[in-house]
Amino acid sequence: MHNLKLTAAIAAIMVATPVMAAEVTVWDVNVPRNPTYYAAAKTAFEKAHPGDTINFVAQPDAEYYNLLNTALASKTGPDVIWANGGASAKSLTGGLLPLDDKLPDLISQVVGKSAFTGADGKLYFVPFTLQGHVVYYNKDMYKAVGLDPEKPPTTWAEVVKMCDAFKAANKPCFLMANKEGYEAEFFLSLMANQSLTAQQQADWSAGKLHWSDPPIKAILQTWVDTYKNGWYQDGGNSQTMFLDEQTLFEQGAAGNFWGLLSNVFHWKELEKVMGADKVGVYPMPSPTVASDQHEGAPGVPLDGGVGYGVNKDSAHVDLALDAIKTLLSPEVLSVLVNDAGVVPANTTVDTSGIDSPGLKQIMGWLATRAVPTTHANSSAAELDEWHRQSQALLNGDISVDDAAAALDKVQAQAKPQK
Amino acid sequence: MTATTLPQTGQVQRVRARTSKGRRAEARMAMLFLLPAIALVLVFRIIPLFWGFGISLTSATATDPGQFIGAGNYLRAIGDPNFRASIANAGVILLAVPIFVFIPMILAILLDQGVPGRGFFRSVYFFPVVLSSVIIGSIFSIVLGYNGSLNGLLKMVGLPAFDWLGRSQTALPVTLAIQSWSTFGMGVLIFLAGLSTVPKDMVEAARLEGAKMWQVWWYVIIPELRPIIEFSLVITTIGLLTSMFGLIYVLTGGGPGTATTVPEYLIWAAQGRLNQPAYATALSIILFVITGILAAIQIRMMSRNASL
Repeated sequence: MHNLKLTAAIAAIMVATPVMAAEVTVWDVNVPRNPTYYAAAKTAFEKAHPGDTINFVAQPDAEYYNLLNTALASKTGPDVIWANGGASAKSLTGGLLPLDDKLPDLISQVVGKSAFTGADGKLYFVPFTLQGHVVYYNKDMYKAVGLDPEKPPTTWAEVVKMCDAFKAANKPCFLMANKEGYEAEFFLSLMANQSLTAQQQADWSAGKLHWSDPPIKAILQTWVDTYKNGWYQDGGNSQTMFLDEQTLFEQGAAGNFWGLLSNVFHWKELEKVMGADKVGVYPMPSPTVASDQHEGAPGVPLDGGVGYGVNKDSAHVDLALDAIKTLLSPEVLSVLVNDAGVVPANTTVDTSGIDSPGLKQIMGWLATRAVPTTHANSSAAELDEWHRQSQALLNGDISVDDAAAALDKVQAQAKPQK
Repeated sequence: MTATTLPQTGQVQRVRARTSKGRRAEARMAMLFLLPAIALVLVFRIIPLFWGFGISLTSATATDPGQFIGAGNYLRAIGDPNFRASIANAGVILLAVPIFVFIPMILAILLDQGVPGRGFFRSVYFFPVVLSSVIIGSIFSIVLGYNGSLNGLLKMVGLPAFDWLGRSQTALPVTLAIQSWSTFGMGVLIFLAGLSTVPKDMVEAARLEGAKMWQVWWYVIIPELRPIIEFSLVITTIGLLTSMFGLIYVLTGGGPGTATTVPEYLIWAAQGRLNQPAYATALSIILFVITGILAAIQIRMMSRNASL
């Protein structure tokens, strides 16, 4: 009888185990880059869900969306999906679960949601870091060309003066790395930061403000004019952004650098190599100032950088939602902030321990005013075309009018107006 | 007569019956052997082709099966300036096919004629073939980048640096030159195999008759190599139209502008980052038809010449 009970118990465990224990799969491209964060998330999740496991699958950055789209189309996608804010995230909403009713408490704590909100107004990803754009500058180079390293430009006139000083010293003022077209994306957001009104930013997202409309065409013209004025180093169309540009800046190839504030690149990378006292940071002024803004006001283009969503075909929706809660919890996210230097989207994360002078400044600007990143509110097709047109503009292969007209056509197709 | 022929007819019929039974068994066995290959081609080539064609007639995305839109994606491709540019680039690439065929042929003939260091050159020529296109692309990104070794060399001799991969005028020719460098070893190998079939006595006889080297090449060797040249033309054409993606992806990303954008690069972009798989399949079908027509023309030429 005793043996029978034991056998029955073992059989019950063997039958029940596969049903009870579940594995939540998360696809992410940053796993090898930030191992401590994912280890902390795994420990916290598996402690809260005994018997269940969380599996972080590191996907290749360059091929990520090809792999993800194929997996979603064949219903073999992961439970939790990582995505970049903006066009990439918005193109995936059809395969995701709206999260507004599922994670209301967490959603009320995070900022940068517009980059992850679908055309239906629902939130499909919860952002966990923010992405913004600032200008990093080399203080030693400022000194070398006769500029005050503690007084970076705050107006367009001061930017022009600063670049004249670099030109006089035969040094590039800004770095250009537009092989993939990313520099042009950042430039669009940096220039629109001060030159577009809040209404124009909203119109841009809706596809009502066109590339050939004066505020955007002025940005295209500035792209060409700054190149013609010799602000950049030669060979910008064949320099990769995240490989070449950072190295060139650290080597002192140019005085300024349109930088990124994200998981991939941020202040900590530069401070580690150059020293915190050698790198400065400032918000980029633009040649025209919108009627609802004033020149020199601090503020950076900022939006949700990366976020997590739930596959609508997931067999473990509840666990997937819990996985997101864990990944965005203040305790786990603070590991990413401290180790990798990202700016968290969850406002309850304690950032008081950060001692970087650059990041303290950036956090101050974020608290004052943050404008949406214009490129994150463009469609994927428009950005793809802007990559091409920006390179052709730099090479002088196309006029600003023709480039704007070509971009208008793509915009009309991607964001049709009723 | 009748008495003797009847049994003979019966025998013939029996033999015929046995033979036809044997042939049927043989055919069944042949079918059995062919079945795995046919099944593989059917499952992984033919069915996806028709399936893809079906998708190309819809507005499907990765997460939405979309609506039937007929020839909408094909009409969009015709009006898409980027696709038109990629077809124009494919045209330029096709113009380079003779270079891709004749350089290996000339080198193979030279090797076959017994130049000093033949074994060494054979190995060196073949070496790039074993490298993946991504590695080749990375190597040449370093060599041809604006801060790369080639410009360093130019500066040393007092010449100005040039953005080889970042300028529209040079990006495609440079990419083609790299593709040629990375694949010509295979061409050399094919031509060397072909040259081993050229009768040595014919070459010898021509030489004894006083033919000069170019005359031996022109009147004896090259005519004998004709089937190999035609074969090389077909595989080079298909290869250039469908396998330059890796190199372009690493070297130029299709840019600057559309200077190095080829149809397969647009297909990749449409399927992935633009989440337009239906448009991607329409472009794939167009590329398939173009490649098919070119291959059919070339194969027709080959078979016509073979029957001469």
